[in-house]
Amino acid sequence: MNYLIPLLVVIPILSALIVNIFDGKDKTVKAISLVLGILVPIIAICATVGVQYFGGHNPSLLTSSLPANLVNTLVAGYNTGIVYAFANIERIFIFLMGIVAFLAILTYFSEKKEVSGPYLYLIFMGLASVIALLLSEDIFNMYVFFEITALTQVGIIVASSTEDNYEIALKYLILGAIGGPMLLLGIGFILGTIGSVNIADIIFVISNKFVQPYSPGLVIGFALILFGWLYSAGLPPFHTIKSAVYSKARPNGSAILQGFSVLCMLAFGIAMYKIFAYIPYFNTAIIVFAILAMVLGVAMSAMEVDFRRMIAFLAVGELGFIALGFGIGTQMSIAAALFQAANEIVITAMLFIGFGSVYYLTNTSDTRKLGGLIGIDSKMAIMVLLGGWALAGVPPFNGFQSKLMLVQAALDAGYTELAILAIIVSVVIFFTFVKAFHNVYLQPKPSELKFVHDKIPKVTVFAVAILLIICLVLGICPNIVTDVFIPFAGGLI
Amino acid sequence: MVMDIQLASLFASGALIVIGLFAAIFIDNIIKKVIGIAFIEEGVNLFLICLGYKAGGVVPIYLPGMTADWFAANSAYPLPQALVLTSIVIGASTLAVMLALAMVLYRKHGTLSTKEILGDEK
Repeated sequence: MNYLIPLLVVIPILSALIVNIFDGKDKTVKAISLVLGILVPIIAICATVGVQYFGGHNPSLLTSSLPANLVNTLVAGYNTGIVYAFANIERIFIFLMGIVAFLAILTYFSEKKEVSGPYLYLIFMGLASVIALLLSEDIFNMYVFFEITALTQVGIIVASSTEDNYEIALKYLILGAIGGPMLLLGIGFILGTIGSVNIADIIFVISNKFVQPYSPGLVIGFALILFGWLYSAGLPPFHTIKSAVYSKARPNGSAILQGFSVLCMLAFGIAMYKIFAYIPYFNTAIIVFAILAMVLGVAMSAMEVDFRRMIAFLAVGELGFIALGFGIGTQMSIAAALFQAANEIVITAMLFIGFGSVYYLTNTSDTRKLGGLIGIDSKMAIMVLLGGWALAGVPPFNGFQSKLMLVQAALDAGYTELAILAIIVSVVIFFTFVKAFHNVYLQPKPSELKFVHDKIPKVTVFAVAILLIICLVLGICPNIVTDVFIPFAGGLI
Repeated sequence: MVMDIQLASLFASGALIVIGLFAAIFIDNIIKKVIGIAFIEEGVNLFLICLGYKAGGVVPIYLPGMTADWFAANSAYPLPQALVLTSIVIGASTLAVMLALAMVLYRKHGTLSTKEILGDEK
């Protein structure tokens, strides 16, 4: 038993409850949030790799106490309780998400004098649920935490008090209330066919042909879970609502929300890959949605004049790269997809917080009304520019390494056209970003532009700098993560 | 006859899901959309319950006097029932948040029409 594994979920839930109780006592809430917030990445680093059987339901220990008519049956080997598995891949993603959440909370404190307990509650609950989603080894438990994540995402939008946030929250919730039950229905079909919701049990039953691998229950289950996955990740046809969600939250909230989406996508993507990769057209289906996400996300971002929506669409386009890696389905492409996911959590968070400082200064995100902001804080402007380069895949940043790995994997697998598409999309991302950067920072300041704050809080600059350093470190030493991702991807296929 | 009960329940769950999807996608009124979503959730819950049904089985609670072998052979499958309990809680929470948002939006726009409410958003 490794008790640090459940603590990864317990600590954020505890933090959520405590900050909500102390709402109104700003100093206490800030102190508790910062102390408990930094604990998540620390525990992720310290925890040893292992499995946590809740309630001690280790199947090998239960065998001796089974009724005689269940001994030597398939059911005897099933996991009868919730199982959390913690490996180095979980360590990397939980660490990165923990750092992003901590820096976003820090930024929130620097930009708001009075902090909101319920807002922090939602952030911590969301963090707890995505961590549990990543750790969980059973698809129903994943569904439960996915629903909690969706509710906290809605809460974060509502608590952001931006224009039209309630409308977007309702729209997202209605779509979620369709996507969620479809996911559950898919899980029901698998349960009906196999009799378990534990991923290891499902794989065992299918791979040993105890059920027909192409039975209608499994195929329908796959289709429904794919639908839920598209919703959770914000891939087409849900890309517009997902980008609207990002753009309606506060910049620090957007940074966290996109991280949640990436982790939801990753957790369900890995689960789907483990269970359904043998189904014909599995890879084709994933590639189709990946291409749609890349093309639609980048095309829509190129047309945007609102920089928050522009980053939001770029984030959707980047999700397409992750899906593309899964769709190609080789060891290197899946490793590249995982690397891309790790990068996206950091880079997009940096851009939301960095560009968010412009919104903090001017209270507008319309690039037509902005200009000359390089004169206010040139350090931040340069960091945002470097962040954009990292997103587009310019060396020596992490985005370059993951995209290079993905393009090489596509070429190795014989998907030359996908490699070319990935390069073209990256070039468009570069130009889209440079255009927005020019409009916001370099063009002459419009005479009607008014500032609501005269300088960017130092904490915001610090947060962006830390995220940029992570991008640079992962760009220069990609083996820190690829040494974990490549063997993991090898195990998946 | 017993099999028919399970089949009938499965058809009922399918009907609930289809009606709910129709309401959630095509009906303009927010409250009716919410009702449609409740239909979908209950349809899925009914589907899960049907999976655990055992013809002539007993409630999966181990009582004094039962032997472990008899219980294993005759009790209904309890896992779907446990899942449905959780699903009901999640469904209730989602519906509560949706209705709260509907109230706020009604106060803001003076209408429950999604076309009018969401048509305004920028």
